[in-house]
Amino acid sequence: MAQAEYEEFIETLDALDDDMRFEYLLDLARMQDREALPEAQRTDANLMHGCMSKVWLVHEEREGRHYFTGASEAAIVKGLVYMMTHAFSGLTAAEIAGLTLDDVRKLNLGALTFQRQVGMMAMLKRIQRLAGVPATSQAARA
Amino acid sequence: MADTGTRLQNSNVLDVEAVRRDFPILSETVYGKPLVFLDSGASAQKPRQVIDAMRHAMEHQYSNVHRGAHYMSAATTDTFEGAREKVRAFLNAGSIDEIIFTANVTAAINLVAYSYGRAFLKAGDEVVVSEMEHHANIVPWQMMAEATGAIVRVAPVEDDGSFDIRRFEGVLSDRTKLVAITHCSNVMGTVVPAKEVARLAHAAGAKVLFDGAQAAVHGPVDVRDIDADFYGFTGHKLYGPSGIGVLYGKLDLLNAMPPFLGGGDMIDRVSFTGTTYKEAPHRFEAGTPAIVEAIGLGAAIDYVHDIGFDAIRAHEADLGAYAQERLQAIPGVRLVGTAPGKAAIVSFLVDGLHPYDVAAVLDRQGVACRVGHHCAEPLMDRMGVIGTVRASMALYNTRAEIDALAAGIEKAKKLLA
Repeated sequence: MAQAEYEEFIETLDALDDDMRFEYLLDLARMQDREALPEAQRTDANLMHGCMSKVWLVHEEREGRHYFTGASEAAIVKGLVYMMTHAFSGLTAAEIAGLTLDDVRKLNLGALTFQRQVGMMAMLKRIQRLAGVPATSQAARA
Repeated sequence: MADTGTRLQNSNVLDVEAVRRDFPILSETVYGKPLVFLDSGASAQKPRQVIDAMRHAMEHQYSNVHRGAHYMSAATTDTFEGAREKVRAFLNAGSIDEIIFTANVTAAINLVAYSYGRAFLKAGDEVVVSEMEHHANIVPWQMMAEATGAIVRVAPVEDDGSFDIRRFEGVLSDRTKLVAITHCSNVMGTVVPAKEVARLAHAAGAKVLFDGAQAAVHGPVDVRDIDADFYGFTGHKLYGPSGIGVLYGKLDLLNAMPPFLGGGDMIDRVSFTGTTYKEAPHRFEAGTPAIVEAIGLGAAIDYVHDIGFDAIRAHEADLGAYAQERLQAIPGVRLVGTAPGKAAIVSFLVDGLHPYDVAAVLDRQGVACRVGHHCAEPLMDRMGVIGTVRASMALYNTRAEIDALAAGIEKAKKLLA
């Protein structure tokens, strides 16, 4: 599980001011570039529709655990994809089914704007569908 | 009415600092930085004259219109219909009966596509749009074409975003029954020569509709001089409220068209054996209209009228030229759409950077731009781009704000390199 990474993201975001969060996301985007999705996997089937910039999410199951990788054309979104795929990889289907929008909310400080928060919520639902579990319908707490 | 006494030194000069004081939101800060609002092409900010008119209506004079034998209803109807007269004068239409209140331009175009399209267009007839249309002036025609068998034809735009009237003429034929075209591109600011377009459309035996969402903001529109059959514009881009738009149509055309939506206020007489409809404009205004919004639109028209379109145009022309000059001087910046005489709308890309990232960095500097395909995906395909960042200027913008945009782009280049 990426619990450690998940917590590291949250702690780092919490400790940074707005401008530094921006830079942190760009750093994450550079890390995402190192595990870039092969061109062959940037297919329409792997594309999330309705995003302002293209986001691809790919899923793989190994020994009962689910792993996600992704890509985006935009650097800031790449940083978000990095956080989401690292935070929620290595879980069982039951654990993924138990994720709620509140689990994403803790990463929202990185989203910087509300529009991107909505994008992160959409990514969680996509992750859940890829893992073959129902997408959460629980609204995030205000 | 706007207080113009301090705003104008003479009829052609706009005192931008005085104008800015009319717009309360412009003194807001975002992320601790002054708001630099360069997204007026999506929706413009509102002057206190508009806000006050709407508040006054709701606090002192409000009722439903065209109904009720009481003072408030009569008084509100007078103000509401007074707003219709202001719109008539704004467009120089011949009669207030030619002014239909709609929700926005999208609703205006859908009204024509549904009502005129389904009544008068048949299989094989052609509707001509351009490559630089907003989706609102594409999709309703595609839906109409699906229903009637009519065909949507596309007039080209040039590599620099300009509109070649000769190539437009080449798309027209005796099958052309309607030309539905933007008066000013929302992405590139390209201004279409409306009068010439109307002359050619009419010579081909076609009617012509203009999407004036952007054009009506940047200069006076004279529908009779243009000889437009239909003309749509919207309140919220003209410093008025959202939820109110206008469809102008020639009266004989409107009265020949069947209603689009049925309901109250649009009927002459209703019975279960048959219902008859009012004449235009009321036959197209079923249900309670956007009363306060129409009053707000009237106040917005007063506001731009008091400042004067000569002053507005001169100010915006200066801003647009300055923006183009500043952005072109930044290495790696590519402008999308540089047609001569364009409105103060600048679309651009930065080499190697995703437009979304550029806009996000600008946002953190307090600079509000729009990013994406701007509801004009066919134009993005035509220009070979995935999207652009768009800075759209208004009467309250300043050269200093263009400098902030340029500095933001430089910062994006550094951060994202």
